[in-house]
Amino acid sequence: MCGIVGYNGFREAQKVLIDCLKRLEYRGYDSAGIGIIGKQLQIFKEVGEISKLEKQIPFFDGDIGIGHTRWATHGAVTKENAHPQLSSNKKIALIHNGIIENFKKLKEDLEKKGVKFSSQTDSEVIAQLINENYKGNLKDAVFSTIKKLKGSYAIAVVCNDEPNILVGARKESPLVIGVGDNENFLASDISALLKYTNRVKYLDDGEICVLSKTSIKIFNENKEEITKKEEIINWELKDAEKSGFPHFMLKEIFEQPDTIHRALLGRVSEIDRTIKLHEKVEDLLNYDIQSIHIIACGTSYYSGLVGKYLIEQFTNIPVFVELASEYRYFGTKNEKSLIIGVTQSGETADTLAALREAKNAGCRTIVITNVMGSTATRISDAYILTQSGPEIGVAATKTFTSQILILLLIAFKLAMLKNKLGADELSNYIFDMKDLPKKVREVLEQSDKILDIAIQLKNVESVFFIGRGINYPLSLEGALKLKEISYIHAEGFAAGELKHGPFALLTQITPVITIVTKDNTYDKVIANIGEVKARGPEVIAIAEENDTEIEKHADFVIRFPGNSSPLSCIPIIVILQLLAYHVANLRGCSIDKPRNLAKSVTVE
Amino acid sequence: MKAVILAAGEGKRLRPFTETIPKVMLPVANKPVLEYVIDAVKKNGLNEIIIVVGYKKEVILEHFKNYKGVKITYVVQEKQFGTAHALMHAKDHIKDTFIVLSGDNIIDHKSISKLITDDSKYSILIKEHPNPSKYGVVFIEKEKLREIVEKPKEEVGKFISTGIYKLPKTIFDNISELTSQGIYDLSSIIQSIVDKDEKINTIIADLWRDIVYPWDLIHLNETMIQRTPSSLGGTIEKGVTIKNDVSIGTDSTIYSGCYIVGPVIIGEGCEIGPNVCIFPSTTIGNNTVIQPFSQVENTVIMDDVRICSGSLIKNSVIGRGCIIENNFTSLDGSSTIEIEGEFKKLEKIGTMIGEDCYIGSSVVVEPGKIIGRRCKIASLKRIVDNLPSNTNVM
Repeated sequence: MCGIVGYNGFREAQKVLIDCLKRLEYRGYDSAGIGIIGKQLQIFKEVGEISKLEKQIPFFDGDIGIGHTRWATHGAVTKENAHPQLSSNKKIALIHNGIIENFKKLKEDLEKKGVKFSSQTDSEVIAQLINENYKGNLKDAVFSTIKKLKGSYAIAVVCNDEPNILVGARKESPLVIGVGDNENFLASDISALLKYTNRVKYLDDGEICVLSKTSIKIFNENKEEITKKEEIINWELKDAEKSGFPHFMLKEIFEQPDTIHRALLGRVSEIDRTIKLHEKVEDLLNYDIQSIHIIACGTSYYSGLVGKYLIEQFTNIPVFVELASEYRYFGTKNEKSLIIGVTQSGETADTLAALREAKNAGCRTIVITNVMGSTATRISDAYILTQSGPEIGVAATKTFTSQILILLLIAFKLAMLKNKLGADELSNYIFDMKDLPKKVREVLEQSDKILDIAIQLKNVESVFFIGRGINYPLSLEGALKLKEISYIHAEGFAAGELKHGPFALLTQITPVITIVTKDNTYDKVIANIGEVKARGPEVIAIAEENDTEIEKHADFVIRFPGNSSPLSCIPIIVILQLLAYHVANLRGCSIDKPRNLAKSVTVE
Repeated sequence: MKAVILAAGEGKRLRPFTETIPKVMLPVANKPVLEYVIDAVKKNGLNEIIIVVGYKKEVILEHFKNYKGVKITYVVQEKQFGTAHALMHAKDHIKDTFIVLSGDNIIDHKSISKLITDDSKYSILIKEHPNPSKYGVVFIEKEKLREIVEKPKEEVGKFISTGIYKLPKTIFDNISELTSQGIYDLSSIIQSIVDKDEKINTIIADLWRDIVYPWDLIHLNETMIQRTPSSLGGTIEKGVTIKNDVSIGTDSTIYSGCYIVGPVIIGEGCEIGPNVCIFPSTTIGNNTVIQPFSQVENTVIMDDVRICSGSLIKNSVIGRGCIIENNFTSLDGSSTIEIEGEFKKLEKIGTMIGEDCYIGSSVVVEPGKIIGRRCKIASLKRIVDNLPSNTNVM
């Protein structure tokens, strides 16, 4: 999604802005631009990569400015539509992330007044409107402008007449203030600023901020000045670097023994045979829960689906997994239902909106997220952090496994609270959970073997992933990973559903990846493999290490360590991630920045 | 000045512990050997390090991803021919005089300080050693290097090369010249420079330690653990006794009735007890559990290990991810080990267990035995021989 940075300080603004924009590249973008006030306001923007912008841009002297990466929503990918957007008198420059829903009406009104527009963006409307409202005070002009806006926005504005201040405002799009010494920053997310500061203040919906070089003033929607606590982010710049790995995705895959350990750290005790979650979370789980709704988008939605199988298996509480973009408009909001929102960034617009809807309807809400201080943690009743460190690869890997682990912890905690699981059984699962980092390590050691199998998939046009039970959402995730980074068409199916339609698409050249665990559907899945083989395609099975039967049925077998259990999903996912990675790498794809995709989708 | 650290080697003699991690990543007092080297370099104000990686490089990249204060550049040596060949990979990153170190020997920062402040064009760190014949032995004349002989068969001096040098950029020309003749080790390159009448200053290192065999992990841990200060993180229940320097990581829990006598290091996320005794020179990695009534002494236990109740472990190394059921005993005593055709007698040695082994209840292992990676041993077995990796003892 669009990325925003703003700077007001003592350094060369141009250098700081380009530097920060590079760290926002992972959010996905098609064009970029910067605006700097030196002697006067100057802007430069270009379609394409930031490295291109960096080479073409003339040197702008000045220590205050704004920078933007654009991911087109309104208006095509052109130089004109890139940000910053200027008012027609070139006094106001603005950058925007979000969508203005009433921009057509506002634009018509302005055009009637004779304002000339030079782009098709909704963002230009904001710039023009601020200029219309400008009476010598930028803060007031922004105030009167945002009152008229419907939709979502995070904006940063500078004005040629007031070269000492930078103004920011947000509603339903992320914006954080970076606090420095004699310099201050604005950014869509903190990872852009880590090189300069780890001190932040979060802006809430409807608030605006005015940054000078030495002060930060924040106002609520009634124009009253308010004070905000400064928070320290314990992420390091190094976390957001590749540290020698060829891709962020591979680095993040290899981090998983550690991130799994961190997701469980302090929450699981083997000697006490217990699961400890935050008090607030445990309180919420202790209520009479008749059903659970898990709300999420994309990969987080698939972790929700995996969570459904886990929670239902251990607690017998029915779980409904809903796409946030659907649930917010169409979902049933029942007070007796616990809502669990899953969002890596904590800023996913649809998930936030769905959480708000649910909360307004009186539901209790818990959020699983990776980003402390994110909007999701502030609008929910309680939250659980995945503690995975920043994830930069657009294809989620380490946060996916950690989200599942947190859902698993919720499942076990609920089972404990509702007396659904015997102490001894729970103790065995705790042992298994503690062994997960080791199991994942064993999978990573097989990376070269998985590469050999990836070679088989390198040139195919289409791949099926099939499985039953918990392996069905894993199939969906495996297919998603493959398609999003390798651009090979991939579909996940419940193995039993093949004959109800998908068989029509199956040809001899469609490899079928089958996840086979030794559960009560083992024989059924073997039969499904038979059905597939009868139609000619190659079958690649993912099976447990002691399964000798599977070799008779599948053409290739990738082994996950240990015996099948509900927890095998974690090593299996890592196999699917490595498979997708190697295939995409063999095909020479842009793994960390797949085309048309953005890391955190902060617009609806 | 930049530093080049050679970290591409496998360390075959340290198997099974190097089957999944490179030698430079073996933990000593809960810190990989390579980290000691980087720390020592960093303390001298050098802030650009080029690390030549190869064997199992991902383990290195992943571990140092959060390392602070120095810029680390990695270069990959795909096939490990020799030290000079490895160094050649760093050529493009070197502009002037630099130092080169091997990532698998612990070195202190003072020795490096002596090396980088030395004003000679070429300098080498040397060290006295009781068994010089396994190393590059150096012969000195008026503090200058006269000759360097790799693993000499006959008469030997008492000083050896630590493999740590200060070198000018022109060394790469010497390397190119000799590698074209099939010579790939740095000692030979240095010898060729001596032969050209160049003066190479010899400087004696203060602390320099090598790991050659698995049992060296125990001795080196014993030496280095004394340098770890006391720090108590995590949760320590009532009724725990702690004496001397003990370091406990965050989110670890020490349950009631434990008796810990330092120097002892316990990593993050561990659970120890109730009623476990841990005696001096024991290092325990992260995410490890030691169940009630066990006793551990002078031992290295790595990450993700589970040791069940009533076990007695002394003078041993337990690899990452091992599961050891109840009442395990590592007998300690003297043992004669055949290694590379020679017999070596070890005193006070326990057992060395590779990664991810499963050991059933009441297993007893004779002194000095090495159990390979991923072995499975059924309950009530007595292990009297070394076990190769992946052995099943039914």
